Amino acid sequence: MSLNARRRLLPWLFLGPGLLWLLIFFLYPLVNQAAVSLMTGDPEHGYTLTWAFHNYTDAISNYKEQFGRSIVYAGVATILCLVISFPLAYFTAYKAGRFKSLILLLIILPFFMSYVLRTVAWQLILSDDGWVVGVFQTLGLIDENGRLLATSTAVIAGITYNFLPFMALPLYVSLEKIDRRYIEAATDLYASRTTAFRKVTVPLALPGIFAGSLLTFIPACGDFINAALLGTPRQYMIGNVIQSKFLNILDYPTAAALSFTLMVFILIGIFLYARALGTRNLTEAAI
Amino acid sequence: MRSSWPGSPSTRSWSAVAEQYPRRLFLGRAGSLALASMLTGCGIEGTLEAAKKAATPVPTVTHPKVPIGDWTWSNWPLYIDKKVLKAFDKAYGGHVKYVEDINDNDEFYGKVRQQLQQGTSIGRDIVTLTDYMVAKWVRNRYVQAFDKKNVPNFYANLEENYKGIPYDPKRQFTAPWQSGATGIGYNPKKTGRELKSINDLFDPAFKGRVTMLSEPYDSACSVCLTMGVDPTHAKIDQILAAIEKISKANDAGQFRRFTGNDYATDLTKGNVWVALAYSGDLVQLQSDNPDLQFVYPEEGAMTFTDNMMIPQHAEHVYAAETMINYVYQPEVAAKIALYVNYLSPVKGVKEIVERTDPDLANNPLVFPPDEIRARLHAYPALSDADERQMKEAMAQVTGA
Repeated sequence: MSLNARRRLLPWLFLGPGLLWLLIFFLYPLVNQAAVSLMTGDPEHGYTLTWAFHNYTDAISNYKEQFGRSIVYAGVATILCLVISFPLAYFTAYKAGRFKSLILLLIILPFFMSYVLRTVAWQLILSDDGWVVGVFQTLGLIDENGRLLATSTAVIAGITYNFLPFMALPLYVSLEKIDRRYIEAATDLYASRTTAFRKVTVPLALPGIFAGSLLTFIPACGDFINAALLGTPRQYMIGNVIQSKFLNILDYPTAAALSFTLMVFILIGIFLYARALGTRNLTEAAI
Repeated sequence: MRSSWPGSPSTRSWSAVAEQYPRRLFLGRAGSLALASMLTGCGIEGTLEAAKKAATPVPTVTHPKVPIGDWTWSNWPLYIDKKVLKAFDKAYGGHVKYVEDINDNDEFYGKVRQQLQQGTSIGRDIVTLTDYMVAKWVRNRYVQAFDKKNVPNFYANLEENYKGIPYDPKRQFTAPWQSGATGIGYNPKKTGRELKSINDLFDPAFKGRVTMLSEPYDSACSVCLTMGVDPTHAKIDQILAAIEKISKANDAGQFRRFTGNDYATDLTKGNVWVALAYSGDLVQLQSDNPDLQFVYPEEGAMTFTDNMMIPQHAEHVYAAETMINYVYQPEVAAKIALYVNYLSPVKGVKEIVERTDPDLANNPLVFPPDEIRARLHAYPALSDADERQMKEAMAQVTGA
């Protein structure tokens, strides 16, 4: 083989494993499910591809409530994660000193336990006769017969808790990376500490905010564990519907159509978000 | 997936292909080729064909005696005294991998459906499923017939009222594991009064403190009883009317959640006061919270039977049959009954329990007296289409 040919082959060799992986485990299932989403039929007679685009309009109109809930719950949880994580990441990056590794360990510690188990633990914490509800009732935050479990509050709290590390860690990395001399320079040029924070620290941390938001928002949108364990049917998100359609009702086309609709919603959301944050391209966030 | 690559790939090196086409075009073409081949001949096969094929008479089967080996049994959580498994391993050799991975009939079916349909092994030698799902598996021949010589205890000790059921009249494929009833589990200290009717689940005084079972065979059929309908012979319209009643109450915020077995935590923790519950669960929950009560509603109660079955293409058929034969010994069945507190389908269990645990022998939840037995109703035998209509209606209510 000539040197020239080898040079052309080289990138393919490097790309090969990743490309193959994506083809088999991403592209193939994706195309397959796209086809399924356009099928009609029932579990007994089987499903055939009839290009039934009405699956999409039906799915959206029947489950717009759950779609709305997914976006709102995931959105609120993402904002809460950001509000909680920013001071946490800031402190860890700049002020924690020798406790830095300990704090980072504490942030990822819940991951050592199963996701479902962590959520079940919340069931116990928030139970009607538990001390949390008791304290809230004494403080008058919820009324005497009120409850936390099986409400939207519980579901959002659960999502926020479960996805916090996905926000905190990218934030920490991007804050940690900031060259402290920029901030010193800002203060040297008579910027107050708040101005320096606003004009230097936050913009430089944007990639972390962006990456963290995506890592929180996207899986939170598709989550069904929190709504199933901490909510009621009135809190169900689109993930609950998709799960039940796929596994219980065996209505594969509707389930697939719902999944694709969710994917499109999320992609549009990310695009708008990227534009709003002024991120030049999506990959920038990952660096 | 069929390959639609033009020309044999072996005669053309990748670099040659790459040279011939600019990269982007190459990717595009490869992509569209793959796409086309994925879409052509696309479809998901239904269960009806298999059912037709299976309608042929069942030949007598012979499963020769072989070493037990490492085999697998799928069952519901907390549904056996694990000492029984250890004793079995010790007596017959081999090792049973006992997995508690069945939480919901539909969900389990959804998980293994593809393999069943393609006629490959689902990696389990016994599965334990409930009546209506059992009917579906038998109809589609997802199960294997027993070798009668290997399960003599089963045919000798099966209680009379379990024989001649519609989905398996000769009991060739299914061996009852345990039965139970769907009734009202509640905490009298919280409700402040005694409950005795299914309509109590709809009492506005308990708003937001009630759970309903998400399985319509349990919930909708129970509610049918309040409407004066015999659920065993209910028409789909009557069942849909019952679901409508559940839906109205749900819109008013009556039900806290729709559950499977998972009402247990809410009930013991006091989050829920009243639950549509399974009889055996309540006996177990009473040990955590002695306040809890179970009643067979005055209108009657649904009864279910979980059945052991050997899936098609199971690898350790002899081991599975040996186990079925083993648990049909009254002494072993009694041990299981003492632990799980459901209704045992094995003759002679009550006599043994009377000796070892007289209290339990008098517990109507485990050994219901005849007047209660008379009020137990079996599930209706719905067609696939009716069943789907019922499940979809219920799914609309449960929001999933």
